[in-house]
Amino acid sequence: MKSFMYKLKMLGKKNFFKAINIDHILKSMEKNGIDIAPNGCYGGGCGVCKIKILHGETQTLSMSKKYINEEEKTAGYVLACRAFPKSDIEFEFVGKPQCKTKEKKKYGFV
Amino acid sequence: MGIIRIGHININVIDIEESKKYYTKVMDMRITHEDEDGKVYLKCWDEWDKYSVVLTPNDSAGMNNIAYKVAKDSDLDDLKIKLENYGIKVTQRDEGEVIFCGRTLTFNLPSGHEMILYAQKEFIGKDVGDKNPDPWPDGLTGVGSHWLDHALLMCELNPEAGINKVAENTKLMIEVFDMKLAEQVMVGPNGDVQLATWLSAGNTPHDIAFVGGPEMGLHHFAFFLDDWADILKAADVLGKNNVKVDVTPQRHGITRGNTIYFFDPSGNRNETFAGLGYLVQPDMPTVTWTEEELWKGIFFHTNQPVESFTNVYT
Repeated sequence: MKSFMYKLKMLGKKNFFKAINIDHILKSMEKNGIDIAPNGCYGGGCGVCKIKILHGETQTLSMSKKYINEEEKTAGYVLACRAFPKSDIEFEFVGKPQCKTKEKKKYGFV
Repeated sequence: MGIIRIGHININVIDIEESKKYYTKVMDMRITHEDEDGKVYLKCWDEWDKYSVVLTPNDSAGMNNIAYKVAKDSDLDDLKIKLENYGIKVTQRDEGEVIFCGRTLTFNLPSGHEMILYAQKEFIGKDVGDKNPDPWPDGLTGVGSHWLDHALLMCELNPEAGINKVAENTKLMIEVFDMKLAEQVMVGPNGDVQLATWLSAGNTPHDIAFVGGPEMGLHHFAFFLDDWADILKAADVLGKNNVKVDVTPQRHGITRGNTIYFFDPSGNRNETFAGLGYLVQPDMPTVTWTEEELWKGIFFHTNQPVESFTNVYT
């Protein structure tokens, strides 16, 4: 498969980063040190890596409808682990961000 | 006599072909039946009943129901009465309504998860047979799963609103099914909130576990492997197949099992769990972990929070 490089920009970040079209967008976020990139299931099932494509095109694999319904799909929402860039892209991260600070939870996990 | 072991788990998968490939090639299960609405039934080489995993094509991931096998048919009558006296609504279904099973009871745990009880399922036998068997069969291509071992269900926990479905489920499993509370994690300012429990129906540390989270769901279901060497081999297999690994080989403090966590192609979390841990006896004291040592209990070596472990489930 011929690979292409695209420029990806996350809303709120000053700089774009380079992404190869054979990596899903979540992987490119991780490779480029986007610190809020969550460590999810990579299968389109858990929903933590939800993003909204503001500009540009992606190719997507199957994604859980629980997290991306038809309406959202039409509005440009995708799960980053199931979306591959087909052009330069600007996106907004709307999933569950990776928490870098050790947040103390009151009851263990909640 | 009540529950003897986990019987099967019915999960949703988004891409059925990818899932079939994964559960056969990587997890080493065998397809024993496919029905006309696309459901796929599988068993491991060391299991003898017709199936232990049901893959249901759906547009999202997660669990449909979980089934436990009871020792004998009359247990279903006894348990129906016990459940109803406890205040649980029970649906009885005839033989065959749950495919390849005898008559069944279906009910919802206080957490909302659907549970099925059955006493009989069509027999196939182990791959190695039951006369002068080899220790393992030829043709394993993946991790060599022996059997479906247990499942962990996430249950709603919101102590300030007075909601603790972990505690409610646990009480039911003990009072109705005589399950043994092997281990628990107690948290909160007074250490009186039951955050997680591991319950045994026989001699292994757990046949089912409950953990508190913001909403109900399936945390993982686990397949048994023999020992630490098998765990390392399994991790190699996952790497070779580009399976998304959540937690690399490690020991649990809780249950003492050797573990790997990883995700199936739809994002359902799987575990390979090796070693007996320890032998549970009816008079064994319950092990309690405190909030301070919670993560040591979960991942004994690193003793560090793994955010995805509590955030990511289906």
